[in-house]
Amino acid sequence: MRRGARAALLIGWLLALAGLGWMVSQRLHVSTDLRSFMPAPTTPDQRLLMEQVGEGPGSRLLLLSISGQSDEQLAALSQGLAAALKNDKRYSQALNGSFDLGALDASLLPYRYLLSPTLDTQPLDEAYLADQLQQRLDDLSSPAASLLKGLLPRDPTLEVLKLAELWAPAKSPELREGVWFSPQDEALLLVQTVAAGFDPGAQQQAIDGIRQAFHALPGSAGAKLELSGPGYFSVVVGAQTRHQADWIGRISTVGFIALLLLAYRSFSSLLLSALPIASAALAGIAALTVAFPEVHGITLAFGFTLLGVAQEYPIRVLSHRRAGEDAVHSVRALWPLLLTAIASACIAYLAFYASGVNGLKQLAVFTIVGLLVAGFSTRYLLPHLLPRRVRDVADMRWLARARDVVDRLPRPRWIPVAVAVAIVLMLALAPAPFWQNNLAALTPLPQDLLQHDARLREALGAPDVRYLLVLQAPTEQGVLALSEQLQPRVDALLAQHAADALELPSRYLPTVALQRERQQELPDRATLQHALDEALQGLPFRADLFQPFVDDVETARTLPPLTPQRYAQTPLGQRLAAMLVERDGHWLGLGTVSGVHDADALQALGENTNGTVRLLDLKAASESLVVDYRTRILQALLVAAILLVLTITFALRSLRRAWHVLAPMTLATFLVLAVERVAGVEISLFHLVALILAGGLGLHYALFFERDTGDPAEQRRTLHATLVCVLSALLVFGMLAWATIPVLRAIGLTVSLGVAFHFCLSILMAPHARQD
Amino acid sequence: MLDRPLVVSGELSWLGGDRLQRRVDHPQQETSTIADGEVTQQRAGKSPRHFSLKRAPQLQVLLDSFVALLSGDAARLQQAFEIRQGGAAAGAWTLTLVPRDARVAKTVASIRIDGYAKASRCMHMQEADGDLAVDLLGPLAAQMPAEPTREALQALCQSAP
Repeated sequence: MRRGARAALLIGWLLALAGLGWMVSQRLHVSTDLRSFMPAPTTPDQRLLMEQVGEGPGSRLLLLSISGQSDEQLAALSQGLAAALKNDKRYSQALNGSFDLGALDASLLPYRYLLSPTLDTQPLDEAYLADQLQQRLDDLSSPAASLLKGLLPRDPTLEVLKLAELWAPAKSPELREGVWFSPQDEALLLVQTVAAGFDPGAQQQAIDGIRQAFHALPGSAGAKLELSGPGYFSVVVGAQTRHQADWIGRISTVGFIALLLLAYRSFSSLLLSALPIASAALAGIAALTVAFPEVHGITLAFGFTLLGVAQEYPIRVLSHRRAGEDAVHSVRALWPLLLTAIASACIAYLAFYASGVNGLKQLAVFTIVGLLVAGFSTRYLLPHLLPRRVRDVADMRWLARARDVVDRLPRPRWIPVAVAVAIVLMLALAPAPFWQNNLAALTPLPQDLLQHDARLREALGAPDVRYLLVLQAPTEQGVLALSEQLQPRVDALLAQHAADALELPSRYLPTVALQRERQQELPDRATLQHALDEALQGLPFRADLFQPFVDDVETARTLPPLTPQRYAQTPLGQRLAAMLVERDGHWLGLGTVSGVHDADALQALGENTNGTVRLLDLKAASESLVVDYRTRILQALLVAAILLVLTITFALRSLRRAWHVLAPMTLATFLVLAVERVAGVEISLFHLVALILAGGLGLHYALFFERDTGDPAEQRRTLHATLVCVLSALLVFGMLAWATIPVLRAIGLTVSLGVAFHFCLSILMAPHARQD
Repeated sequence: MLDRPLVVSGELSWLGGDRLQRRVDHPQQETSTIADGEVTQQRAGKSPRHFSLKRAPQLQVLLDSFVALLSGDAARLQQAFEIRQGGAAAGAWTLTLVPRDARVAKTVASIRIDGYAKASRCMHMQEADGDLAVDLLGPLAAQMPAEPTREALQALCQSAP
């Protein structure tokens, strides 16, 4: 190709990449919500989990502590922060302890007679009022006087206090300066985010918002704000993983570039060979943005990992160039084999598309498009740009010696059998369990964070994130009625210390029916006034002191009962809203549980209720979801394997040759599995994805080693290409294997082991050397 | 709030340290104990009511002043209050304590203790909202009028024994 045409091609390619890049930047919406990568839930518990894992009241809770200054200053900061967050749409609730009495909005104050249980057992008659007024008189002369004085005219029976007691957390922290404090002298706050708990992106915004609001407060400079809770953890884990992946990535990128420069001694070749990969990544993302409204972050992470296979295409071309030969010619000779590799990988990934899991579908689209673009641009674009004069690697002396050594390696026929027996033995002897179902174990939290969380959770009496008591009914009121029915049994369980606390929705709002019953019990103005006058006989209270009380009772008689909708404007209403959710035409009530001591006893609440009441163990449900997910991946893998066998057999048109390609690949894959299992590694989804990548690389090694060109120089080039590929993969993934975060280590270790085993086995089982 | 004063009688005892017990015999049996930063109120036939001392600043003041007075801890008294001493003729004296803590001062404006010679006779707690609580101490307690007025109590406290 002429110089001008080459320049035009390069510019055209770069422009196309820029165009794709622009399109991606305009259209790409990355979703970080873990749930969209999960398989469609099948059991009711799993479906609830998918909704509640992020949106349940417990998982959206952030626990805050402010420390480092005097109580007074900390309390002022706590009040300031709570006030700022209450006006922010990102938070549905911000509690700091000062809500005790103010929880009931002034306009809702008359509702206290419908919300408090007093009227269920006690009419507002003369005897009751007389007794209550006498008690208030005693209160006035008692140490509690200043606490109650302000309430007295409006609320002589102290209904507001009864409600505050009813709504107070089972174990509420100490109040100092009107706000919660921990025994360690930190001001404590509870913030509920609108964003789902396991959506690290949205949680990051919510946490940034809290920090900004805090730093905007006067006097915040000397104080320390600490956070905890599931949402914060998801952010921390994400940042840690990204941080470690980034620095490992930087080191291995430098190493990778150095390796390629050493191997090909050409800077322009190196830069140009990056073009197919860049095109693959951009085209893959562009295809995703066209096919899906949102792209999942994990799809991209896994996708880039799997795309590592495409790195091999330009490397093969570079290694297989002969001196004086046009790159276009070199690639033509190589193409049938490359095409076989690309086609088999793409066909195998089709199985992932058929899995039905959204995240896996995205993964399939991304990798298939990426591999095709990388393959075809390597074939039809790259060779025209590569420099014409190159060194033929086949002439390198060390390579000739290496090829000699490789050719002279003993290749006993029993190798596959021996390896297979070793695999079976290792798998049989490996310590149980085989699978790692706990996704959290792959991204563990630092111990001090967990301790801090446990301490705050204990101090605040915050609900457990693991258990939920789920009530189901056709209507909202039905759920509340069920909750009212259940309350006595729950109280009994709490008395037996099955749990520290269990909050049911009806604790915050009785049913409309119960409210109406209570309304019926309220006396009319004249009756109440008469009873009050009689009760006041002989007591020193001013005669008109209780006018606000009489007015409130009169108002309460005609109030429309409080519904969750009307209630929603208040802080407690939002608390309630988090406990009542509508789904598929029926309603669910979510009871939060703290400090579970006897899960079986709680489980027993659900007996004989036909599933309308059940204890949901979010951990068990999430593990069953992981099992389902893995089953889908394994099924997809099985189909992929069958497709792979068919494609390879068809491409090579020989069962025997297909065997020589597929046998080392299969054995190496199982060998990795067996070695990891024997070393005590429990296999997770990430190990499976890494095994697939290693399998893709292994397929290349086997395909190229199996190729019998009868040309020793070409065999040397094959060895050179494979060595560069193996070394670069070992460099990149070997670095990951040193990571301290288990998920990175899982991928790094699996791919490194895989590459090593695939390389060794495909050399040892290569057929032609034996025929020499 | 009330159109006549509330009169209770009973016993206030210092249990040592920061513990104070207030027993009321009339008109209703009631025992309140301040101990370990918590107030416990116990009434006949009722379950006890607990609340943190921090929620009731006027009790903290009561505790501080009483314990300091009874144990003769002048430093502690100085620390919690600004002290004004007034001495009338013939052995009668008045000690006025103004809480130093601005937050406490929001509920308790001042405490005045009237005494004669070596004995304290009365304790007046002036609350910030205008209410006044008067404690007649020691032998004076028996002289509480059935229908007291501020003026009558004032005269009683400042009279010589």
